[in-house]
Formats: sequence, C-alpha cells, structure tokens
Amino acid sequence: MADEDRGKNAEDNVGAGASPASDSPVVPDPIGELAGKPLIISVQHFCLHDGPGIRSLVFFKGCPLRCAWCQNPETWRAQAEIAFKAHLCIGCGTCVDACPHGALAEIGRRDAERCRLCFTCTEACPSEALHRFGLPLSVEDVLARLRPEFPLFKTSGGGVTLSGGEPSLFPGFATALATALRAEDVHVAMETSGRFSPYRTAQLLRHLDLLLYDVKVFDDGLHQKLCGASNERIKANLRELAAAAKGDEVPALWPRLPLIPDMTDARENLLDWAAFLLKLGIDSLTLIPYHRLGASKRGWLGLEAEPDISELSDSRIEYARALLADAGLRVFMPGEEKWDGLQPGPA
Amino acid sequence: MDERTSRTLAPRPDLKPFPERTERISAIRYELLSTPYSICLERPKLFDRFARSPKGKAARQEHPLVRRAQALAYVFSQRRPHVYPDELIVGNMTSKRIASNYYQEGGSVNIVEDVWRLKHRAIPLHLSLGEKAYLVSVAARKGVTSVGGRAMLRPGRVSHFIDIFRAKRHFVTEEAGVGHQVGDYRMVVHEGLRSVDEEAARRLESGTMPDGVELTKDQEAFFRSVRIAIEGIRQMAANLAGEAERQAQEPGISLERREELLEIAQACRWVPYEPARTFQEGLQAIWLVHIAFNLEDFEQGLSFGRLDQILYPLYLADIEEGRLTEEPACEILASFCLKACETLPLYSERIDKFFSGGGVAQAITVGGTDAEGRDVANELTGLILDSYAQVLTREPALHVRVHPDTPDWLMRKAVQVIQLGTSRPSLFGDPAVVRALETAGMSTEHARDYAVIGCVEMASQGRTYNSSDAALFNLPLCLELALNQGRRFPGKRAGQRKRMGAATPPVSEMKSFEDVLAAFRAQVADGVADMVKVITWLEEAYRIWRPTPVNSILTQGCMQSGKDVTWGGGFYDYTSVQAAGLADTGDSLYALMRVVFDEKRFSLPEFVEILKSDFRDHEPLRVELATRFPRYGNGDPEVDAMTQVAADMYSDAVISHHNSRGGLYIPGFYSMTCHIGFGRKTGALPDGRHAGARLSNGLAPADGTERQGPTAVLRSAASLDSSKWSNCCALNMKFHKGLVQGETGVRALSSLFRNYFDQGGMQVQVNVLDADMLRAAKEDPKLYPDLVVRVAGYCAYFNDLQPAAKDEIIERTAHGIG
Repeated sequence: MADEDRGKNAEDNVGAGASPASDSPVVPDPIGELAGKPLIISVQHFCLHDGPGIRSLVFFKGCPLRCAWCQNPETWRAQAEIAFKAHLCIGCGTCVDACPHGALAEIGRRDAERCRLCFTCTEACPSEALHRFGLPLSVEDVLARLRPEFPLFKTSGGGVTLSGGEPSLFPGFATALATALRAEDVHVAMETSGRFSPYRTAQLLRHLDLLLYDVKVFDDGLHQKLCGASNERIKANLRELAAAAKGDEVPALWPRLPLIPDMTDARENLLDWAAFLLKLGIDSLTLIPYHRLGASKRGWLGLEAEPDISELSDSRIEYARALLADAGLRVFMPGEEKWDGLQPGPA
Repeated sequence: MDERTSRTLAPRPDLKPFPERTERISAIRYELLSTPYSICLERPKLFDRFARSPKGKAARQEHPLVRRAQALAYVFSQRRPHVYPDELIVGNMTSKRIASNYYQEGGSVNIVEDVWRLKHRAIPLHLSLGEKAYLVSVAARKGVTSVGGRAMLRPGRVSHFIDIFRAKRHFVTEEAGVGHQVGDYRMVVHEGLRSVDEEAARRLESGTMPDGVELTKDQEAFFRSVRIAIEGIRQMAANLAGEAERQAQEPGISLERREELLEIAQACRWVPYEPARTFQEGLQAIWLVHIAFNLEDFEQGLSFGRLDQILYPLYLADIEEGRLTEEPACEILASFCLKACETLPLYSERIDKFFSGGGVAQAITVGGTDAEGRDVANELTGLILDSYAQVLTREPALHVRVHPDTPDWLMRKAVQVIQLGTSRPSLFGDPAVVRALETAGMSTEHARDYAVIGCVEMASQGRTYNSSDAALFNLPLCLELALNQGRRFPGKRAGQRKRMGAATPPVSEMKSFEDVLAAFRAQVADGVADMVKVITWLEEAYRIWRPTPVNSILTQGCMQSGKDVTWGGGFYDYTSVQAAGLADTGDSLYALMRVVFDEKRFSLPEFVEILKSDFRDHEPLRVELATRFPRYGNGDPEVDAMTQVAADMYSDAVISHHNSRGGLYIPGFYSMTCHIGFGRKTGALPDGRHAGARLSNGLAPADGTERQGPTAVLRSAASLDSSKWSNCCALNMKFHKGLVQGETGVRALSSLFRNYFDQGGMQVQVNVLDADMLRAAKEDPKLYPDLVVRVAGYCAYFNDLQPAAKDEIIERTAHGIG
C-alpha cells in the first residue's frame, strides 16, 4: 500500500471514532474493540527515563503512525499477535501438536489464514519462544500490577506513564485508569504521538499530570512518507494544548524529539520544531538519540526488516543539542530532565 | 554516644563531587596495585623459632593458653617492622608489600595443592623456590597439629575431615579459623590497652575475681595471657616507632616526611597502650591492634566496626582545636583504607570456587543509630565514604546502616559510591537487623550498636564472639536427599550411592506434599546436626590448642569472666551457619507441589526419575519449569511463601542447637561463591535447574528468573520474615551502569533502597556493571541473564541484543557514555 493511502486512511479514521472499514495496517483494528478495551502489551516497572522519578510504564497496543525507525512493531496493531522468537525455541514441537486449527505445519511457520489467534500455542510453548503480544487486561488488572509500586512512586517522586502504541486511542480505558491512579495520589503521565482526536481525548487530558509529546518530522510531506500519516493533527493538537489555559484542564506539556539519522536530525527539521515550540511558549525539549537495539522484533512478527539506519554519532547528537539550545530551547537527554520547574501548562 | 551527637551537623551539600585523590594516596595506591601478590612465611618461621628457643621449650610446661600467648607475643615482637613510603598510618600486615599471612594451624594448608603452579593461577602468587620448599615442609609437619587434624584425625572422624574438602552437604569453614570479629576498638581508642592490662594485673595480684572468689588455674592463665599478648603488641608498636625514627634520620629524606615519620613514631610509642590523643592516633591504634588480631587466628572478616562513631570525638576535638581540617582527615582515612589492601586470603583454586572474590572483608560500618534509636550520621560518616571513593580498592569492605531517619545526604552519598562500581557500600536495614539480633537474645541497646562482620554478618561491636562464618550449608541438596531416601541422585554412576542423609521413606510411600515436606525437614535437620557435630569437634580443638587472647582482650565479657573467647568468655556467643540456594529450594518445592500434587502431571516416583536423569528426554518440561513457572523474586506471594517455608525449615533446624561454649546457633542466608561449588555437587532440581549448575546466590532469585524487574525482587526479598536470620542475608543486585548513572541514578537508587528498607528489607548490595562485566556477559549469556541495559531512551535485556548492539553498549559503557 502506498504511503499516501496509508496516511489518508489514518487521517480519516482518527478522530472519527468509527471502526475503519478496511484492515489497513495503519489504522487500529476493529477486532481490538477499539472504542472500549485496549490490549496491553506489558507493564514495566523501574523506568527512569519517561517522566520524573521512578515510574511504571503501561504499554498500550495500537498506534496511528508507522514510523520508519520504530523498534517496537508489536505496538502497531491494536489486535493481539503471535510473535516467534526463534532464539528461544528449543524445537520441541509442542506448538505443532497443540494447535487445534492446524495452522502450525512446522515449528516457526504459522499459517495466518488458518490461525484463529486462539493462543493455544503460546500457552503451550514451554520456552516462551511463541509469545503473545496483547493481553486483554481490565483497568483493575492493570491497577493490581501497578499498586505494589505506589510507595516507590511516593519516595521517588515518580508515577505511572501511559505509553504504547498510542494510549489516547483508548480514551475511555485510559481515562478510567488515570482517574483511578490519581484518586490514589499517583502522578500520571502519557506518552503520545500527538495524533489524537481532541474531542475524544478531552476528558483524558483533564486527568493527566504530564503529557510527553513526540515531535518528529516537521515537514508534512516528509512526515507522511516516514511516519505513515499527516502531521497536521499533531501540530494542531500541540497548538491547542499550548494555548489552553493553565490549570487543571490541561496537563503540563513536554515535547520529545527522537533524533533519527537522516530522518529527523536535519538542521532544518530541528530549527523548524524549535521555532514552532518557542512560538507556543514551550521552552524545554528532550532529545531521544536513536540507537539500534538489534532486537529483531520485526523478525519475531514476520515483518520486513527495518530500513538500514546508520548509527548516530556523538558529534551528531552534540550538533543537534547545540543547534536547539542556540535556538533558545532547554535541551535534555532522557532521564536528565529538570522536571522541578515544570508548571501545569506552559507559560 | 552522648556528647558526640550534640553538635549540630552542617548538612553536606548535595552532589558535592568526591575529593580528588591526593598525590600521596595516588602513590600508595599505585604501588599496591602494581605489586604482585605473595605468601608471607614470617609467621610460621617465627612460631618455629619460638618453639626451638629456650623460652619456647620452657613454655611447654605452661598452660596451653599461656603457651599460645607467649608464642603470639614472640611473633608480634620479633617480626620485622616496615614503614612504607608516604603512608600516614603504619604497621606492616606481612613481611611483604602484599601477601597472605600463612596460618599453619589450619586456614592456609590448602594452598599446598597449588604450590607448583602458583604463578599460573588465576590469581598468581609469587614465591621463591626456597619458600615453596619451606611451605611444603611446614604443611607436612603441621597437618597433624592443625585444628582440623586435632579435631578429626581420630577414629570415626576421619571421613568427616575428608568431607570438609569435598563440600557437598556443607562446608565447615571453621576448620580454617574463626576470625570474623568486630573487636572493641572503641575501648582501644578511648581507653587504651592499659585499662585491660591493669585490670588483668589486679586480678593476678589479688589472685581473685572482683567478687573475691579465688582464680581458677584457667582464669589465672587467662589473665596472664592477656598481659603477655598486650606486651607483645606494645613491643611491635615500639619496633615500628623505631623504624620510623630510623627512616627519619636517613639522608635525603624530605623535611616534611621527616616530620611525619617522627609524628608516626610518637604515635606508635603511645598507642595502642594509652588512649589516643588525636584522630590520626585513633586510626593508628586501631591498625596496630588489627595487625595483632590478624596474626593470631586467621584473617577472615576481622572488622573495624563503626568507625564514624568511634573516632568522631577525636575528630571533633582535632577540628575544634585547629589541628585538623577535612581534607587531611580524608587523606588519613584513605591511607588507613589502603593499609587494608596489604593482605589477601589464601585459597587454593579448588577452594576458590567456594569463596572467590570474597576477599578478607575488613569491614567498616557507618551510619545507623545510637542505643536509643536516634540517627548518628555525622561529618565523619561522609568523610569515610569520601575516603573510600578515593581508594576504590578490594579492601576494606564498607557498609552503611539505613533506618527511617537516615538523612538524605547519606543515602545519596552511599549511592554515589555504589555508582563508582566496586559494589560498595552494601546497605543494611536497621529495623530488620535489630529485630533479628533481638531474636538471638541481644538487648535492644546492644543490637542497635551492631556493626557488620566481614561481608554481611552481625555483631554488637566489641561484645560478641560470633564464629559468624562457621559453615555453609547446601539447602537444595536436602531436597534431593529427601527424594532419594537420604542418598544423592546417582548421576552418571550406575547403582545407588552411599546414604548421606537421614533414612527418609522412599517417594513411592509419599502420598502428599506434606510427606515431601516432612522428608525435606528431616534431611535439613540431619544435615544441620551433622554440621554441628563437626563444628563441636573443632570448638573443642580451639578451646585447647588455639585459644585467642587478642580476641579475648577485644571482646567484652572475657575480662569479667576470666575466660578466653574460645571458652565462652564473650558477652554474646554465637556460631553462625549460612544456607546457600534458598531461592532454588523454595522454587523447587513450589514446582514439585504444582506438577505432582496439584496438576498431577506425573506421579512423584515418575517425576523423581526425571530429576535423576537430569531431565533427559524431558527438555521441554525442564524449560517450562525454568521459564514459565512462578518464581521467587517477582513479587508473587504464592511462590515467595514457599521460599519462606524453606528458610524457616533451615532457621528452625539451626536455632535448635547450642554450641559447646553455651552460645546459640544462628542462621544466615548468604553463600559467598559456595552456590557455585555446592551447585556442582547437586543434582537436577524440580525448578528446572540442571544437575551441576550453580545454585541461587544468597537471598537473590535463581538465575534468569527475575521477570518483573528490580522493584519486584526487592519486594519479594522484603516480604520474607527475616526475624530469625540473626546472621543476616545477602541480596545481590546488578544494574547496568548506563541505567543508574548520574543524578537520575542517585535519585532512583536511593528511593528504591529506602523503599526496600521501609518494607522491612534487611540487606542489599549492588553491582554496577562496567564494560568488562558486560564483555563477560556477552561471552557467557548465563552470567547476567536478567541484565537490563539502557542506551539512549531504550531499555532491553542485554541477552536479547544482537552481537553488534552488545558491542556498542560495551564500547559506550567503557567510555562512560550511556
């Protein structure tokens, strides 16, 4: 499918709230009961680089973007998936015997046509080589996993960060979770691509303390090409949030820019973002330098390998940092942010 | 603590960088780091020489304790003094720059196994041919009269002697020596040995105890031994003073150094007999007595205690009277720390499997509370951490006590030192430790004055004789024995092995999980009883052949009772034995319960056959047990409860015994590296662990089983009831440097650990993995299976990364960029 089409589809559907008609890889799948419950990929504790203090991250499944550099392809689709981690497979064949639909003719080869995603195989696999991405957890389930960490949030000034994927695709669930957390005095942040419907998420935003807002590619044409959708909505949302009154209505805003070689690290892109942010009264930014983990998650999911992106040299990071700083931004690396000065809502 | 805490503390500024290493400290440190290790044979030679001397011959008619004291005093007074360049605290631990002392009475004999390949060991030792020949001859001559020989070369005991070297069920380390002590260095510093000497003189002169009861022969011998030992120590100090004076007169010596040497000489002519007058004299007094302590028994775990409390009055007085400022105080402390590097433990490579990397662990404890529970952290607490940050050497060991009122600056500073990557300091939770010591019969006031012995063990400083590392116990092996009628699994051998444990029923007769637990309990009790039996033989040998007068001088209770510590003179008396493989045992009990009794997937005999075959043809089952079953360390109360069951069985078995001095047996949960040695002798376990693989370490989860991150590990550990663990536990955690560096790391780790102690945590020690460790992890993925690394904004399991990505992380870690 052409990039333009993907972008168009996504633009149509995000915000409309309706189930998309096609099974485009870009738009969230209808199977995940999109309007209601999301699937959760995992809840990860002791995270130090996604907001202040020690935090737990809740990864939602489903994302409206398809960034070329994305290293977490399991977050793309909203429906549950079966991944095969060949390096863990002991070749026992338990999965082949277990599959009730004959979708596994041999180890590591799953026939997507036959597979009904019943997850019998992931349940049976002794080594967790077959892994289920996407668990149908309730708000209570997620809270139960988070609750033991609450005291630590208090001592460290941390909290919970909703992440993904795109949590705002599930405003009902995310709001319920955020409300429940804040009722117990837990600081709630959300990482967002910014591509959400302001109407559907208005209530959610009201219950967040901090919004970690990704800014990637400034030029819309290039954004569509690299991220699979237009960035008009992203910019508009950011503009509106920044313009909104201070106070309880809007969370504090903190943009983060993934620094990807040859994709987001061009001088022009950085300066465009800097000007855009400063004009909105936002003066801080986190740079997230790209690093190839080499954890071949795309391979696990049977997807095409990620494009060859060159390594980011330290001098390039330093260049970007200096450029943004000269433009007037306070630039931080992940985990080094000075959150202390963070006000609810930018000045 | 009284007046010492009265001064208001100037809060130490946050993130104040560690003071830079001074030129002096760099020079001493460089010399120590570049000197090859050796073995010092001066001690056995002087013992030999004493035995041949007229005085030594006359001593044969003496009470064994007097004879021992005379021999020791001879060693103290006759050894050659060395004063090394630049140092501010003097007193050579051995005759060489860095060497092991040789303890022919036990501890050191095992090195003979390596004698012809000393240079080719992983830790090479440099010895001349003549020295090697002497080593062999002394080992041959002294084998029979070693403590182990005296205790066990008797009918019916020899097989146990051999068992010590095989180390399957337990490893009775007390065979090598007792060591492990926090002496009364507060008395040494503030009262001087004179106070003890004069009291002993009074007893001898009056011939009675203070209550008028006549001295027994033993008591008389004891008070004589005290005076003899103190005289020997004074002579050793005087010899060092003489050497310092001699060097001061050497041509070409700088004026500055001459002055230092003369001051050192003056100090050595005053302390440790008289009370120290200055901060530097306080440290000098401790060091001099510490040398004597090291030469007496063996070097393991002889610890300095709460130096920030002991020395604070002297430090304050020096500061107030303008004799001292912070910087030189830090340098004196660093010079003291470096003295601790002059010695090392002597293990053959075989023994090293059980204790490698353990070091000698001369521990400094800082922080904590006074007897009333009030925080006592002071400027010196911070300075001691600063000084360690300058040396970053394998010795001394450093421990910080944490309680709810521990100031933030101390938590932060402790974490900042941890970030430097030497896994020091380790942290101790006061509430849990104090509660466990109270269980062992200590008064609350005395428990609150605890200091760490060596790695993790406990003493109320100066009041406790704790044979704190008497033995290590292989807990999972008891499960193997329980499943095979007291026999180890056959392994590759054909046929049955000889019965080693209790004669518990065959598995075919076990109808419920409770039956398995009963058999396991019986095996634990039997194994502990066997271990106690061997230790009792050794205690008897110590009592007669190797009493320890220096230790008795430094342990309250002895002077009051006229008894050597080996006779039960200590105010508190313990023998401590530690279990290895706790998590593996708990996880195995849980897995067995589920597979056999809950899910009924196999009968018990079938499952045991699978274990006996080391999961041959059952690899999927093994992998499932290892990766998919709930494991301790993930905050799962159900499986953690089983870990508690295993811990309680061991604790209860241990606590039921008394030692032969009238003291208590107390349990601990740490393993040095015995979990590796024991693992080799242990068959397959129900938790999916292969036969021969290493066991879980201390209180840590089994390898590769922490799936929920560090907060869950700490939660599981803190959830266990540690009130019976009077000899503490060791919880090792590993973090990638990139994850916990900088201010983010300081904040995260200090809150993480504070939170752990709030939950009732007892102990934690942290390894911050540097590039070398990551390289090793790349070579052997089993090394740190749970290691999470961070680069830029991403976190991932190190093992999940591609080789190239691993290389880059190693590279970046090596360059301190994360």
